[in-house]
Amino acid sequence: MSEYTERLLTSPSRKNQSDRLRLVWLIIIPLIAILFQVYVPRFVSFLSYLELPLLITVHFALGRRGPIASVFYGMSIGLVQDSLSHQPIGMFGIVKTLVGYFAASVSQRFDVENPIVTFILSFFFYFFHQFFYWVLARALLGEAMIFDPQQTLLFGLLNAAVALPLFHILDKLKVAA
Amino acid sequence: MTHPDREEERQLSANRLLRDDTKFASGKIAFFQYVMVAIFLFLVTGFWDLQIRYPEVYQERAERNSIKSIPVLAPRGKILDRDGRVIVDNHSSFSLFLSREDLKMEHLKPIAEGLSLDYDALVARVHRFQTRGAPQYEPIMIKDELTPAELAFVESHKDPDTFPELEVIHVQRRLYPRDGLAAHAIGYVGEVSEVELNTPEFARFHQGDVIGKDGIERQYNDTLMGVDGQRRVEVDSFGNQRRLPEDEDKDKEAVPGKNLQLTIDLDLQAVAELAMENRRGAVVAIDPRNGEVLAMVSRPAFDPNLFASRIRSKDWKELIDNKDHPLLNRAIQAQQAPGSTFKPMMALAGLETGVINDNFIIHCPGGATFYNHYYACHLKGGHGTVELHKGIVQSCDVFFYNVGNRLGIDRIAEYADKVGLGHKTGIDLPHEAEGIVPSTKWKIRNFREKWYAGETISVAIGQGATTVTPIQLANYVGGLAIGGMWFQPHMTKETPIPPARRVEFNPDNIRKVIDGMYGVVNEGGTGGRARIPGIEVCGKTGTAQLASREVLKSAKAAGENMKANAWFVGFAPRDNPEIVVAALWENGEEGPWVAPIVRDVLKAYFDKKVRLGEPRPQIAGIPRLLTPTAASEPANP
Amino acid sequence: MDFFLSRYRNLTVLLIVIVAQLLLIAYQVKSNKDVPLIRVWAVTAVTPVEQGLELVRRYTWGFVEDYFVLLGVRSQNEKLQHENGQLKIENHYLKSELSTADRAQALSVFQAHSPSKTVAARVIGNGTGANSKVVFVDRGSTSGIESGMAVVTPDGIVGKVVDAYPMASLVMLVTDPTFAAGVISQKNRVRGTLKGLGQTKCLVDYAQNEEKVDEGEWFYTSGDDRIFPRGFPVGQVTSVHNGKTFKEIYLTPSGMQGGVEEVLIMLQGEHLQIPDSESATPGYKILPAPTESAGEVPQPTGQSSVLTTDADRLREQYKQSGEAQHRGFGEGFVAPDFTKIQGIRASTPAATNPPPPSGTQPSRDRQEAQPKPGSAAAADAPAKASVPSTASAPAPPKPKPRPTAPILVTDPTDADPDAVPPPAPKTEKPAKPPGSGVPPSRPPSGNQ
Repeated sequence: MSEYTERLLTSPSRKNQSDRLRLVWLIIIPLIAILFQVYVPRFVSFLSYLELPLLITVHFALGRRGPIASVFYGMSIGLVQDSLSHQPIGMFGIVKTLVGYFAASVSQRFDVENPIVTFILSFFFYFFHQFFYWVLARALLGEAMIFDPQQTLLFGLLNAAVALPLFHILDKLKVAA
Repeated sequence: MTHPDREEERQLSANRLLRDDTKFASGKIAFFQYVMVAIFLFLVTGFWDLQIRYPEVYQERAERNSIKSIPVLAPRGKILDRDGRVIVDNHSSFSLFLSREDLKMEHLKPIAEGLSLDYDALVARVHRFQTRGAPQYEPIMIKDELTPAELAFVESHKDPDTFPELEVIHVQRRLYPRDGLAAHAIGYVGEVSEVELNTPEFARFHQGDVIGKDGIERQYNDTLMGVDGQRRVEVDSFGNQRRLPEDEDKDKEAVPGKNLQLTIDLDLQAVAELAMENRRGAVVAIDPRNGEVLAMVSRPAFDPNLFASRIRSKDWKELIDNKDHPLLNRAIQAQQAPGSTFKPMMALAGLETGVINDNFIIHCPGGATFYNHYYACHLKGGHGTVELHKGIVQSCDVFFYNVGNRLGIDRIAEYADKVGLGHKTGIDLPHEAEGIVPSTKWKIRNFREKWYAGETISVAIGQGATTVTPIQLANYVGGLAIGGMWFQPHMTKETPIPPARRVEFNPDNIRKVIDGMYGVVNEGGTGGRARIPGIEVCGKTGTAQLASREVLKSAKAAGENMKANAWFVGFAPRDNPEIVVAALWENGEEGPWVAPIVRDVLKAYFDKKVRLGEPRPQIAGIPRLLTPTAASEPANP
Repeated sequence: MDFFLSRYRNLTVLLIVIVAQLLLIAYQVKSNKDVPLIRVWAVTAVTPVEQGLELVRRYTWGFVEDYFVLLGVRSQNEKLQHENGQLKIENHYLKSELSTADRAQALSVFQAHSPSKTVAARVIGNGTGANSKVVFVDRGSTSGIESGMAVVTPDGIVGKVVDAYPMASLVMLVTDPTFAAGVISQKNRVRGTLKGLGQTKCLVDYAQNEEKVDEGEWFYTSGDDRIFPRGFPVGQVTSVHNGKTFKEIYLTPSGMQGGVEEVLIMLQGEHLQIPDSESATPGYKILPAPTESAGEVPQPTGQSSVLTTDADRLREQYKQSGEAQHRGFGEGFVAPDFTKIQGIRASTPAATNPPPPSGTQPSRDRQEAQPKPGSAAAADAPAKASVPSTASAPAPPKPKPRPTAPILVTDPTDADPDAVPPPAPKTEKPAKPPGSGVPPSRPPSGNQ
């Protein structure tokens, strides 16, 4: 059981309403991100490099949540992504689990409100995510994937750039909830 | 008792120390955490490698590195005829295997359906494999020589989502001519056997190598066999192979075997093969001027394509049990009594030793008695007065009984040896037979008995213990025809051959023998069927009894085929011969009947020259024994 | 231990979660099995949303085109487009049958053929994941989709169904690295196997180097793979050159051009199924072999049947020459005449030693032993004789094989597919559920 749900259950009833809303958002937002990834690149193929589910995971973990909650959150998002792919289930799951864990532990050390830090962390985790996925694909599946560091750095920047406004919106949503 | 101050101080310092300790420890713990994760991941990968990707059970895939080297089999060189036409080719062959680790029984039905296989037979086959306890990694061969349609089916269904158990193996397979054309000369290939690997000749090969097993394929295996290469592919955990462009540089190219050009002329080979259809025997054509073998046929033949994949034991048994011995290369291995084809040599020996001359005349009443034994001539009525020329033309046995009797066995053996009989010709093919030319020594060596003079009489007409192979016969007559010079018969143009063996005979004597052989064909002799208008064909028939008349009778009663073997050896043109052809028709009964085989091969040779625009060999200008036919048909431009 | 677990609780949870997932992957890799439940849940959850999105997208774009005015026209247009696609497919069959000599028989063959039903489906999403090329479509097992079914557009083949979920299916595209299908070239009937490469282009493998394939030539499905019915366009050759063992032919799949939005999934009329197939493996579809049912023009290439060498061909010449002279070989008193033998010239110069890898293949369909004098050029007569060359209407650059590009491999007189009045479809149409805008079964959030 995660810290998050613990907190949810033990929270005062006055806050129940808003917490329920928050829970709904927590489910809907990654779903939208995944749908975006599945749907939009059909028309704008360039956007297939935008890892929204990853950014959502990072955002969640950076929000000073316990590592365990982040681990489960990342895993769930990853598993859904896996189910929509044509590869063994668990690949994205493991990667996003790790991302969730590390992002959560990092959040306890850095000032995650700072946009520059957010930018750097998003960039870092994108790179980490891609690299670790590649390692897994090679090591576990033996797949002959090609890892292009330059390209990954470039798309890391793209993702980090998207992360800034995205995190801002998500924070707003959180506050609203 | 201690001072309270001191006590306090110590406590303080201890506290400070303690606090420092915790601070230090929490940093360490965080670090320790990450190290743990790293170590853990490292261990997991190792565990994974061992348990998931490299379990020993899957021995075949034990080396299923993500990078796998796949051997690229080098194609064997083609075998070409003297004009560069392809006799033996390669073709791409695909075989379908079922990998048993991925096998699901419920897939068998659609697989059988897609490939039009018998479902029940397939299931039975799989069950047999499973109950036999074959190792798990050993795949089951399902279908050989996939058609393009079957290949398309397999390729489009072997993805991991559909039937991952399907595996296709691509090999270059030997493609031999059909109906066993030149099968014996060319031989066949096969996987090197366990036994062979232990012999020095094959020690350098590896298990699974495909090597030449017989004929040219064996003799020139080193030329024909290439060097296998390697291809690097990435194999994922599902067994899918993928190719990365960067791997291409690391590939080792297979070095294809070299093409081998034979001296065989397919035109002659084809005609000889057609002529020998449904007959048992052999045909050999040689260019006497250099020893090049132009055609080599042995019948009955086998289909070397059966060996090109792995020969089925049923097919092999059939070949071995066949009492006609289709695997025997009769052209170099059939050792049969030469019959009257021995006579030209006898005549030459007689002339050279001086036991006969132009004035030597005998009377043939249809037989003669030597050493209290009556020896019949093949012509019951007898040939009447016979001198050398008539003796050869009419193949009079009585004449040669006399020659042989005068020569004695050892001089016969000496001359037979001079013209190349009784020992291997040295042709570049494996397993050549020696043949037998009996002599007193030979008899003592083999039977520990002395030679009886009466035995010489049968040897004189190529019977008795005498045996020759078709290649020896062609070689001997060919060398004689060009004036007593013997080139080692050979199958390829590139092979270095020893210089010709020259034997000094009196050219006049040779001339007389050749004139006799010309008469055999053109002057109403036994070989009239071999006549080709416009070409001076010389030849000699031979009819070799398989046993004495008494034995024959009893054997016939027993239902055995004891018909005499028929021989013909011919060459053309009379002067400056270009080709000599020997044909053996086992149980052909009469020598004259086999003459057309030789004639057709000769005709093919000369007609090909006409087609190519080469002039026909001019008929010798000297008006010796000029026949009307030869004169009436002038040489073709 | 308790101490350890509580002290490193985070770490422990992380490790457990990761190990659990590793075991999950291990299971999938080892058993080569999927974990269908998780996927079915995910796909089922996502599909309606995607369909909704798709719906929204189409109508918002329609809005720009003045939705209210054009609504009727638009739906009609859609309907017509569906119908048009359907007709194109019918046309393929029809034309193939019309080209056979006996029209009456052709029609009956067509009738046997036409029931191969299709279901229209819409692509609703890409698969995630790096290497594979897969898409989701909005029809699933409830619409009768099974894995192994062919997915096409009237312009060409698109892929095959690899997973059928209740409301959606996963389609492996022709560009996926594990995709393969049997294809045949239009002009010379060169057979090969189409393979995806993970890029926009595909490779046609296993075509012999000796065989003739031109750039710009069309490839069609051969039906050999038992997934795609014979005669569907695959794509146009973009480059071709001789490879080490086989020709390297690259083509751009015509069904994939301009993105895939609407596709047809080939269901199958029941009477076309192999009698006992459904009992054996429910859930996997195998078409009958094409030659049995398709009343095809005989295959001139005869690729598999007889491989010959020069030796065989030459002997055949001599044999026929002998027969022409009414005499056997090695018999009689008269020598035969071989001066008229046409002969065979060396196919490879004897001197060039290591043969070009191309030479590893026997030149099989050249010169089928025709001892007729004068036909010296026979060596070049390719084995395509029965295809009167189509005049190959200067293949249009357009990817769509519609107007002049011959649509069907079997059609020798391809003039204009649209000019051929399709008589059968009228009677046939009621039998075809999809194509019109009102398919019988709609997913809940369907697009109407």
